[in-house]
Amino acid sequence: MEAGSLLHSPIPWNPKLSLRRRIRSTFPRFFYFRAFSSSSSSSSSSDSQGGYRGPKPRRDWVADWVSNNDDVVRSLPICVGGASLLAVLLNRTVSGIAPVADASSSQSRADLLTLGLAVTNILTGLVWLSIRPKSVSVVSPQGVECRRIYSHLPDSVVSELTWVWQSLSEVTCCRSLIVVYDSHCVLQIGFAAGYSIDDGEPVAVDADKLMQGSLCQGVIKSGAQSYLANLSLYPGKSELPFLPSNTQAVLLQPLGEKGIAIIGGDTIRGFTTSDQAWITLIGEKLDATLAKNVRNTPLVVQDQL
Amino acid sequence: MSKALSFNPLIPLKMHVIHPQFPAKKTTAKPFSISARLQNQQQQLNLSVLRFTLGIPGLDESYLPRWIGYGFGSLLVLNHFVGSDSATATPAQLRTEVLGLSLAAFSIFIPYIGKFLKGASPADQATIPEGTEQIFVMSQNISDTQKEDLAWATYILLRNTNTIATLISVQGELCARGYWNIPEKVSKANLLDWFERQIERIGLKDLKDTLYFPQSSDSVLWEMLPKGTRSLLVQPVLQVPKPGANQVEKIEGFVLLASSMSYAYGDKDKAWIGALANKFGGKSLCMDL
Repeated sequence: MEAGSLLHSPIPWNPKLSLRRRIRSTFPRFFYFRAFSSSSSSSSSSDSQGGYRGPKPRRDWVADWVSNNDDVVRSLPICVGGASLLAVLLNRTVSGIAPVADASSSQSRADLLTLGLAVTNILTGLVWLSIRPKSVSVVSPQGVECRRIYSHLPDSVVSELTWVWQSLSEVTCCRSLIVVYDSHCVLQIGFAAGYSIDDGEPVAVDADKLMQGSLCQGVIKSGAQSYLANLSLYPGKSELPFLPSNTQAVLLQPLGEKGIAIIGGDTIRGFTTSDQAWITLIGEKLDATLAKNVRNTPLVVQDQL
Repeated sequence: MSKALSFNPLIPLKMHVIHPQFPAKKTTAKPFSISARLQNQQQQLNLSVLRFTLGIPGLDESYLPRWIGYGFGSLLVLNHFVGSDSATATPAQLRTEVLGLSLAAFSIFIPYIGKFLKGASPADQATIPEGTEQIFVMSQNISDTQKEDLAWATYILLRNTNTIATLISVQGELCARGYWNIPEKVSKANLLDWFERQIERIGLKDLKDTLYFPQSSDSVLWEMLPKGTRSLLVQPVLQVPKPGANQVEKIEGFVLLASSMSYAYGDKDKAWIGALANKFGGKSLCMDL
């Protein structure tokens, strides 16, 4: 169970307490936390679910609030810790006790414990600030939209490829997808570089040349995914002329030993580890599907600009 | 801060303070190799060098403020009652104690909030609850491609998300995989029927919206889920209507995922699971091959 449900004492959001209160009276029951920690009194199914009879989840206010106010929450422990530090010193000065570090009187001991808590908060705040993810901007790919599918594919394979493209473009930062299998370009979809500066034909994929290139050879030999997180740093970029010139990140997924999937994204380091894991397994499935179905006939484009 | 350091020997903090760099926008940039590597083009404040760790393997340090809060809070209370007579407690001491106790309460609450921040990684891995057995059953009268799809989908869900048990139902065909609590009276042959009955009871087949229960609470834990389930995600599988046609979205089935961690499914996970559900949604257009 989460600690939120075990919490009995309130958290006064303004820690700068300078009130003279007896300790007992500083623990009013804040019903916000009680209401939160009680088990969900979920409503029974309503008619809008049309037959679903189970419980419905309630909105998680704390999670939503924290996600929306990320910066504020991150600096909260530091502010709280720093303010308490100052408050303790102020308290000592104001009450006329000399600021000496000894554990002789109970006042000093209480002060030291409070200081320890303040320092813990400050350090936690520093850790939170350090794990803030960097915000990287999205770079729109410069190129033309294209949609080329190898013509002699059965419908099930076409729908599977379409599904892969839809998932990748919706869930990740993928903007271009090329699938090459058995020396054929099976799929080229999304943004591609144009032949001329203005809208031209999308550059075609030379499947043989691509497969002979060192980039793909390396990936297929090792059998592992290769993630070029910042494409501008890699000289191998010249082997991928069909991608828009300002593609930021590229993921190369081998499909067994005969194929490769090239996924271009519009953000530096845009593919998370979760994305990579999913794409690895999707690649295995594509390999199994394509191995059964790709036949040896020339490519006929199904072009839609 | 001599005071802060004077009692530190209680906790041997290994401060890996190498080269603190405040702020990044310095005109005289010091050539620290670490800071040069961590510098990014946007010149953000680089605080990652100030992270500290106790260095004990297996200890989850994000919960450290909570334990310190409990420990120091109880010491404060002890100090108040035992360290001196209550009658001689000065107002100054009371103020300090109130401040200390509220700080302790705040510290206890901190790991809970910290979980929702962007960039926070989940602390524990999914553990397999006891008393469960691993099963993998599938409806029999479906095509081989569909069997392959279901097997692959359940495999990818168990592998890539924090799931311990998954159940997929598409057009009446079921596939269950993972660690489930099966009651003893149900034999292996009747497993699918048992799942069917549970689903009928709750009416999952008519689910239209995604359900996500990130924390366990008793009313939610349905009997069929494994005992240690803490979060539950049910994603309906909707048939994608053909563009241009005036079709209402038909409910094809659902994908159910149970995990032994709370808050197991983040936004990214939910997006991927939704994409996987779409795979089964468009399936009816081209099924057998």
